[in-house]
Amino acid sequence: MHSSVLRFNALVTFAVAILALICALASFSDYFNNPSPTADVKVLSINWFHKQPNGNEEVRITLNISADLRSLFTWNTKQVFGFVAAEYETPQNALNQVSLWDIIIPSKEDAKFLVQITNKYRFIDQGSNLRSKEFNLTLHWHVMPKVGKMWADKIVMTGYRLPDRYR
Amino acid sequence: MDWQGQKLAEKLMQIFLVAFAVVAFVVGYALGSFQAMLLIYAGGVLLTALVTVPNWPAFNRHQLSWLDQSEVDRHPRPQAAASQSSKKKTTKQK
Repeated sequence: MHSSVLRFNALVTFAVAILALICALASFSDYFNNPSPTADVKVLSINWFHKQPNGNEEVRITLNISADLRSLFTWNTKQVFGFVAAEYETPQNALNQVSLWDIIIPSKEDAKFLVQITNKYRFIDQGSNLRSKEFNLTLHWHVMPKVGKMWADKIVMTGYRLPDRYR
Repeated sequence: MDWQGQKLAEKLMQIFLVAFAVVAFVVGYALGSFQAMLLIYAGGVLLTALVTVPNWPAFNRHQLSWLDQSEVDRHPRPQAAASQSSKKKTTKQK
C-alpha cells in the first residue's frame, strides 16, 4: 500500500474476485428452484397439405398453443426460448424434427400465454412420408441464465395425425 | 500513508467489500432482482474506494519520526571496513 495507485489496484482486484464469487453463488441458487411448467397444444385445422413438384410434401397447420412457463424463471434468468416442433418417424430417419413456431420470453410475466397461430416456419418433409403420418408436437424450452449454463427441457404431446390424402 | 494507516486501509477495504457483497447478495435474492444485487455491490465498491484509496489524514496519525538532519550530521556514516569480517551495525539514536 505504498501509494493511492497501488491501493486502487488492490481494491479493484479484490472487488472483481468477490463479484465473481457472488455471481457464482447466484447461479448456484438456481438449483433450489423446482420448475413445474405446463403446456397444451391443439391442432385447430390442417389448412392445406400439398405435394410440391420436386417431390417434397408441405403442410400448413393452425395450432392453439397454451403454456405456463412461469416456474422456470428465477432471479438469475435472462430469458427463455421456447419452440414447438413436430416430430415423426420415417423409413429413412428414426427422428424428424420440424420447428413450427418459436417465442422469446424475456420475463416471468410473459411466460403464461395462449396463442392461436399458423406455423411460423414451413412444415416440409423431404419425400412422400407425411400421408397418414402420426406425429408428436413437442414444446421445447431453453432457459438462458444471467450467470451460468443454459439448460433445456421439453413436454411431448402425442396423438396427432396428418390426413391420408392431399388437400 | 504511514504503516499503521496502510494496515488500517487494507483491513477496511477487505471488510467493506465482503460486507457489501453479503448485503448485496441477500437483498438481491430477497427482492428477486439480479440488478439490485449488482447495483448495491457497485455502490459498495465506490464507497470503499472513496474511504480507503485517498490519503486521508486519519491514515496519517502514526507518523514515523525520522532522524533530524542536524543529528545526522553529527554522526557521520562509518567508512567501509578494510577487513571482510566486519558486520554492519545499525545504531539507534534518540
